[in-house]
Amino acid sequence: MVVLREGMCPGLSEDLVRDLRAAGVKTVEELVSSDIEGLAQKCSVSYKALFAIRRVLLAQHTAFPVSGADLYEELLSSTAILSTGNPSLDKLLDSGLYTGEITELSGGPGSGKSQVCFGVAVHISYHLKQSVIYIDTTGGLTASRLLQMLKAETSNTEEQASVGGGSVKAVIVDSVSAVISPLLGGKQNEGMSLMIQVAGVLKTMAKDFNVAALVTNHVTRGGNGEVLPGLGASWSHIPRTRILLERVERAVSISCSSLRSATLIKSSRQVQAALTFTSSAAIAQY
Amino acid sequence: MTMKMKMQRTVTGLSLSPSVKVKLVSAGFQFTADLLNLKPLQLSKEAGLSQQEALEVLQAARTDGDRAGAGLTALELLQQEDDIRSIVTFCSQLDTVLGGGLPVGKITEVCGAPGVGKTQLCLQLAVDVQVPPCFGGIGGQVIYIDTEGSFLVQRVVDVATAVVRHCSQLVEDDEQQIAMTAFTVESILSNIFLVRCHDYVELLAELHLLLDFLSNHPKVRLLVIDSVAFPFRQFDNLSQRSRLLNGIAQQLITLATKHCISVVITNQMTTRLRGGQSQLVPALGESWGHAPTIRLHLYWEKSQRLATIFKSPGHMDTTVQYQITSDGFRDVELAATKETGSNCC
Repeated sequence: MVVLREGMCPGLSEDLVRDLRAAGVKTVEELVSSDIEGLAQKCSVSYKALFAIRRVLLAQHTAFPVSGADLYEELLSSTAILSTGNPSLDKLLDSGLYTGEITELSGGPGSGKSQVCFGVAVHISYHLKQSVIYIDTTGGLTASRLLQMLKAETSNTEEQASVGGGSVKAVIVDSVSAVISPLLGGKQNEGMSLMIQVAGVLKTMAKDFNVAALVTNHVTRGGNGEVLPGLGASWSHIPRTRILLERVERAVSISCSSLRSATLIKSSRQVQAALTFTSSAAIAQY
Repeated sequence: MTMKMKMQRTVTGLSLSPSVKVKLVSAGFQFTADLLNLKPLQLSKEAGLSQQEALEVLQAARTDGDRAGAGLTALELLQQEDDIRSIVTFCSQLDTVLGGGLPVGKITEVCGAPGVGKTQLCLQLAVDVQVPPCFGGIGGQVIYIDTEGSFLVQRVVDVATAVVRHCSQLVEDDEQQIAMTAFTVESILSNIFLVRCHDYVELLAELHLLLDFLSNHPKVRLLVIDSVAFPFRQFDNLSQRSRLLNGIAQQLITLATKHCISVVITNQMTTRLRGGQSQLVPALGESWGHAPTIRLHLYWEKSQRLATIFKSPGHMDTTVQYQITSDGFRDVELAATKETGSNCC
């Protein structure tokens, strides 16, 4: 449903828009599906002109078929694969984060989601010399930790100061669930529509601006106590690739081991078999 | 082809009430660009809105583009972090692993079994945050939300007396001499604003009202909620509980970052069965675990009290020992206690 406005296409003048409106045609949809002949008479405009407008509008609003070869060509020329800086995580992701796609990290508190995000941000800005937009919704972004990670990459302060600079290649949202989950559930279903809207914007942004979107999500427990990513089934269709991060529990005590495991739970190009790895040093490298 | 159209803002993304959005969409307005050339009267007629609503819609659509872009770079963030001091705990080992104390602008959760010293740490922090800047403190005020009725003013007097005594021993120059005249037990007590909340409704209401209070008291640097778990332990509707808690979490994050406040909350422990073995985990469920930025876990091991950083984006998982003395929350070695102050002050 797009409202007809003057200047949308050649020939659609202010007068004509007003006349069409008077005839009960307000949107592109209505114009396209109306009887052109009758409408031309009502608005005292030539049939030919109205038909031309209809054709242009149809062409503007239609989806064009793209051949597989063109698509492949575009893929080769414009898609970048951004390494996360962690070799085993890259292997799990089929060599890294793809631009134009949404990748999701889910995991419980302290499972290392933010650490992976920091690592990706530092790696992209330092090694790839590209910029990163980091949307922090939980107050977890700690610049001193970023500096610490950067120092682990290089001890040269000049190099440390000259990171980034290129175009924005990644948008990190840490976390997407923190702002959406308070809206979900209950009697109102506005939360669901807002969630899908966020998803739509993320997807369009990733595609149109050719950036990799990395989002984090919390986890919930299913009926049998198994760990599931949060935000429910509708959200599960949004990210192209999903990774579940977990602490490796050592003993009965809740206290800590620095080992984390990452499991690929959804992917359109990797085998989804449990390719589990431990990532102690690389992720939790303090 | 992908770049053929600049990304447009949808009407549904504006901050308007759902009923208004529904009317706009069903009248054919999809993007904010569709609204820009309209007059309020026109819009109210076309979308069936009242004139007041139409005016609000147009204002929202016009100002929408201005809100974005208030980001900051990691370098600016680093400078901000360097500018703000942390709140010392008076336990030098804990301060060291936390990089100088509890960070301002973040949420820290202290969880632990009853009697392990959660409230003691909170009371200690409520006094420590008031240490004058010339002694290395941040000279702030405190809002203390007590839901368990465990705030003991007598105990605060003990802790405050010890801190004042400690600082007075450190006086070296005139500036510190002058600061000491204003830094007394009475002034410390008058800078703690205690709020007693009896149930979760009062707690939610109080958090809503806090924003006003904070604009009138710009010196507040610490918000303590002791404990956030207690009002929510008896709750039949679990999904409603987690929704309320998620809302609280977002409110606290806003408070912490916008007003530059350190938020300290305490949480109780609960037992979880897993694989036939029981283990003690923080209460309020797993999703609440995402709310605090830093999670401290206090526990007993034989007769020793230990504190572990269980979750933090900027610190190692470390365990340190501490003790509760009559003066408050302290290091274990008596000899080290004296140094605590001189290290951090």
